[in-house]
Order: sequence, then C-alpha cells, then structure tokens
Amino acid sequence: MKTLLKGGRVLDPSQNLDVIGDLLIENDQIVEMNGQEKLEPGDTIIDCTGLWVCPGLIDLHVHLREPGFEYKETISTGTQAAAAGGFTTICCMPNTDPPLDKRAIIEYVVTRAASSESGGIFVAPIGAVARGMGSDHLAEIASMKEAGIVAVSDDAFPIQDAEMMHQAMQYCKMLDLPIATHCEDLSLTRGGAMNEGAMSAVLGLKGMPRTAEDIQVARNCVLSISTGCRLHVCHVSTWGAVETIRKAKSLGAPVTAEVTPHHLILTDNATDGFDTNCKMNPPLRTQKDVDALREALADGTIDCIATDHAPHSLHEKQLPFSEAPFGIVGLESAVGLILTHLTHTGVLSPLQTIRAMSTAPAEAFALGGGTLIPGELPAAQITVIDPDLEWTFDVRKTFSKSRNSPFHGWQLRGKAVMTIWGDEVYRDGVMDARVSTQ
Amino acid sequence: MSLLDIRSLERSEIETYIREAIKYRNACTSGEPVPQVSGTVCLLFFEASTRTRASFESAARKLGLSGSFVAPATSSIQKGESILDTVVTLDYAGVDCLVIRHPSPGAPHKAAEVFDGGVVNAGDGCHEHPTQALADLLTIISRKGTVAGLTVAIVGDIVHSRVARSNAWCLTKMGAKVRFVGPLTLLPKDCSLLPVEPCDNLAAGLSDADVVMALRLQRERMNGYDLGSLAEYTQHFQINRESLKLAKDDVLVMHPGPINRGVELDDFAADSTFSAIHNQVENGIYVRMAVLANEFDKLRGDA
Repeated sequence: MKTLLKGGRVLDPSQNLDVIGDLLIENDQIVEMNGQEKLEPGDTIIDCTGLWVCPGLIDLHVHLREPGFEYKETISTGTQAAAAGGFTTICCMPNTDPPLDKRAIIEYVVTRAASSESGGIFVAPIGAVARGMGSDHLAEIASMKEAGIVAVSDDAFPIQDAEMMHQAMQYCKMLDLPIATHCEDLSLTRGGAMNEGAMSAVLGLKGMPRTAEDIQVARNCVLSISTGCRLHVCHVSTWGAVETIRKAKSLGAPVTAEVTPHHLILTDNATDGFDTNCKMNPPLRTQKDVDALREALADGTIDCIATDHAPHSLHEKQLPFSEAPFGIVGLESAVGLILTHLTHTGVLSPLQTIRAMSTAPAEAFALGGGTLIPGELPAAQITVIDPDLEWTFDVRKTFSKSRNSPFHGWQLRGKAVMTIWGDEVYRDGVMDARVSTQ
Repeated sequence: MSLLDIRSLERSEIETYIREAIKYRNACTSGEPVPQVSGTVCLLFFEASTRTRASFESAARKLGLSGSFVAPATSSIQKGESILDTVVTLDYAGVDCLVIRHPSPGAPHKAAEVFDGGVVNAGDGCHEHPTQALADLLTIISRKGTVAGLTVAIVGDIVHSRVARSNAWCLTKMGAKVRFVGPLTLLPKDCSLLPVEPCDNLAAGLSDADVVMALRLQRERMNGYDLGSLAEYTQHFQINRESLKLAKDDVLVMHPGPINRGVELDDFAADSTFSAIHNQVENGIYVRMAVLANEFDKLRGDA
C-alpha cells in the first residue's frame, strides 16, 4: 500500500528544499520524491495542491499533566491536541505528580503514550534534573535515559544553586543529554505575577523583572561553556537573554533556545483587565522584547518555536490574577498564530518557519525527525499545512481538556490540516488511517 | 454597573459622585431627612479593615440599606470555597450590591464578571481604592475650592499603595498635577503609564506643593530590603514642621490612615490646621453613600 502526497509545496529545511512536488510513502516510510509512476490500483493519492508538505512538527515543551493532574490534561487528550495542531512529536515536561524522575515513571509515560488514542504521535519524555523536582539531589538521569528520556529539565523548579547546576551539566555531558532550563532567579520574582514594568505599576501586581531571567540565562550559558554540556534555554522572553545567547553561541557554546508563540505576539499590555489567560511564566514582556525575540528567531539566535502547552482547569484560572496558576494551552493554535503573525507578515520565510517548528527542535534534542529525506526515518513524520486557510480559533472546540488561552476568538490564516506518522493519518486531529482514493 | 477603579471612569462620572456626595453631606449635616434606598448590600472583606469597613457600614445605615458583613474567617472561604463561588452564592441569596476588599489586584473585577448586581471595590491589593480617592478629592475641593491646577505630592510607600494609584488617576482627571515621592525602593519601577511625575527626593517632591498626602509604610507587604530603617526613612521622608516649609504656605496635609504617628507624619503635620485627615474620614462616608446610592439607582435603571 502506497500513499502519494501530490502537488504540494514541499518544504524541508534539512535539505534546504522548497519545491512543488510529490512525496511517496510506502510501508510507513518516505521512499522518494516524485514517484507517481510507481502507484498501483488501490494506492492512495492525496491532493496537496496549494498546501505545504513539511517534516512533522516537533514541540519540545509540552505539559501533559499525567500522572497526577488528569483533570487538566491526560496523555491521551494531549496527544490528540498535538495531532490536531500538526505535531508528530511532543516532549513532555517532568513536573507531574509524581514527577518524571525515575525509570518506572518514564516507562509509564511511554507505555501510556503508545496506547493513547493518538498513539502515532511520539511522546518523548523529559526527565527531572533533581530527585522529586526542586530537591538538592540529582535524579537517576542515566536510568531514565535508558527508559527513553531525550533531555532533562528543571522546568517550573529552576535550580538556584550554581554548584548543583554545574554538577548536573557535567553528568548530562557524560550522558550526552541536553539540559533544558527555565531560567529564573527566584529571589527576584518571589510573589510576582506578571512582567515588572509600566503595566504592573498600573495594575498594582507584583512584577517579575526581566533581570531574573537574564541572570540565570547568563549563568547557565557560562556553565555550558565550562562543562561542554548541551544547554537548551526554554521559552526565552527578554531582549537581554537574547543578547546573552547570541554572545554564547558566538563563543561556540553548545546552546540552543526556544521561544513561544505568545511571547512572539503578545506584550504585557494584554494583562490589562486582569485576564488570567495572559498569566504565564516567563511573563509577557514589552514590545522591545517581542521585537528582539522576532529578530533572534529570524537570524537563528533562537532556534525553535515551542508552545509551553500548559493546561489548567477553569476553576484554577478563575482565581484572582495573583493567585491563578501560570500557563496557557498552545498545541492547537501554534501553527495558525505563527503563520498569521510571523510568516505571512514576512518575519520568517516558510522554510524558516518549518525549521523552527521541526528541523531545529529535532536537532536540539537529537530526536531523529525534522526531515523528509527518503529512508532517513523508520516511519514517515509529515505535517500538511494549508497556509491560506482562514479560521477562527475556538478554544472550546479543541482536544485539550483545558480552555486557558488568550487567543480564543482570534482570526487566523494558516492551519495544520493533516498529521501523518507512518500509515496513521490525522485530519483535524481525528485519526483516519484509511485514506480514500481521490 | 460597578465601581471597580478610577482609571476607567470619565471625568463626568467623578463629578457626579462628588456632586451626590455633597448632596448627602448637606442633608446629613443639616438634619434634613436623607433620601433612603431600599435593598441589600454585603460587605465582603477578605482583608482586615477598620476605617473602610466602618465607613461603608455607616454609609449603608444612613441610606437605610440592609446589610451584612462577611469576613473570610467566618465564611465558607475557610472551607475552601473560591471567591467566585462565594460571590455567585451571594447573588442567588438575593444580595443586590457587593462591597469587596481583597488582597489580590483585580479580584473585584473577577467578581463583577459573575455577579448580577453592583460591585464596589473597597481596595484590591496594591491596585486601587476608588472610594478613598473620591473622598480625598471631595476633601481637597472642600478645603481648596478646586483641584484643577493644584500640585499634589503623594509621599511614602507608593509601590504598595492602592490609594496612591486611585488618587493619581482621580486627581489628574480633575486637572491636578501629581507627584509620587519616596525612596526609589518604594516607587514603581516604571511610572510611564501612570499620570504622575516620580521623585525620589523629598525636597524636590514637596517644592511648591499645594497638597501633601502622606502614606503609611505597609510593612506587611515589604521585605527587609526596602528601607535602611524606619529611623532613616523618618529622617529623609517624614512630613513634619520642617519639611512642610518646602511646600506652599497654605499646604493641605492628608493621610488616608491608619497613621504611623512619628513615622510618616509628626504631630504638627497630623494635628495642625494644615491637616485634613479628619475631613477625609468624614467625607469618606458621604462619598460611599453616593457610590452605594448610585449602584442601586443603576440596578433600578434610574441612572
């Protein structure tokens, strides 16, 4: 059985490829470009005219909430949301309950992901740096690597002690694992709810200064240079952090970085009115920061776009602003937001867009995806995007269990319409393995 | 329907509140019957309060409103109920108007999203305290005749002060110039969206001021890094006989209370004829009568 994706705009940053062509899938694998002559009766042809055919999108920063917080999200609903958003691979953060800090928990997540409704979507767990998250003892990182982690992270519990981070990096260097860091000096952000600036002064909310991020990004870059450990800076939000990452890269540091759609599009002015759907960590910053993030993404200083998909229940987000939890859902709005506000506006080319959402994340965590090269991957990982589809993001109709998004009701142009893993094809998030002949 | 902050009010709305407050003050002080309002008001206070609570209770009583007071220590909040569930419950219980004090900025705004009646913000964290600003405005107008063209120096712990923010919006909308004066550690880090001139030097801040409003040091919201010591603050930022010489000769001294006597103010500043502190308290009742009456007018569709 073969499937031909016919006549699409094939965008593959791994080959610097941007052509109109056909892609042939056979026995789950991409076998070649432009192989229409090899089709037989009963094979499937999918008309991709006017659509982008890209390597499957990869999100390095997702919170699946299972185990422990299944009322917000489960592995099953999270992977369905991923499929609907065009992601073939998602990396899940370890701040669950219990946290992902042991081999057995990693095995649990891997097993649950494989048996979920969107089992074709690859879930790559990220292990905790510290035992129990937030403690001062390293977790059993080597054992977790054997069980399938692709990185470790202190997300939500940024390591404050420099010696501990230094040792963690040495350990991860030995294991050739990247360490993904949420960079925040907690002594500067205690009690903070939003960016410290003019808007926090108006609203009377305790601010989180950008220096809290800048300081830790700088420290971690220095430690990365010192240890040679691969450092991945999560959700960069300040112009100062951008400058530091740029400098570190120029010095040859093995540093990668990600930015979220919301930090690329919104400023702290969005918090006016106390909408808790605009409460995230790091907080929404200023236009100067947004401009710097966009420029850094375009020039490659920031490598990846990641959603930091962080589901929270309605009753939690209905709390007063300073008491509500940080975070928003992002898997199903990311493509539309990025295409509408960065690609169609000329900040990123289509190839740069796909590089930031697929090829670069694959490289950062050595995930093995992010390419359409025939035979390169054991199973095809492809996302088909309609770049001109105009639609309205309705968070109530998403697959995620949670509804916390500031983008509800936004008019968007561009949407992932098909997500393919091997012979599993998801259309608008629903698996449709039997593709009709057209 | 609700009074949640001064920032979103039009100047004409502020003028209406002041006009109504003067009407109630005249009625109360002349012994004439005060126009009565029927309905129920609930004071939902999630923070300790003496003067604001007493002021609202007095205002409600003078208007003939039936009311109740709910504090978290005696409410279902202790049992884990959220503020929004509490508010919805009070809505179904037939309460017409809520007066909310809460330590979190924006809490009354959240409540107003789910409460059908009127919501009055009685102070939300470090955000706003609109009825206090209206009381202060009425006090200045009563003592100075007008507020337009005056320079008002608000001195002290600005960053933690809801009174400072509400007054900044209120006074500037009415034509005054407002300075925020205090040590840099107690000023907002960025005042560019506030209609004020920040100043970390008392002499410069009080220069030619028509009104000096001292604020309490909110030590419960501070950490150990905000000040060298109370004595040092007193030495450099206290409003007293000496520092008032920097302001205009007919300067008006105000303080929303409670006063840390000997810290923000000395006895001279607090008790001399320059002081309008007691007027602020009294005017607070009339302003709150106007605000509550306005909420009930709107509920009846009269406003």
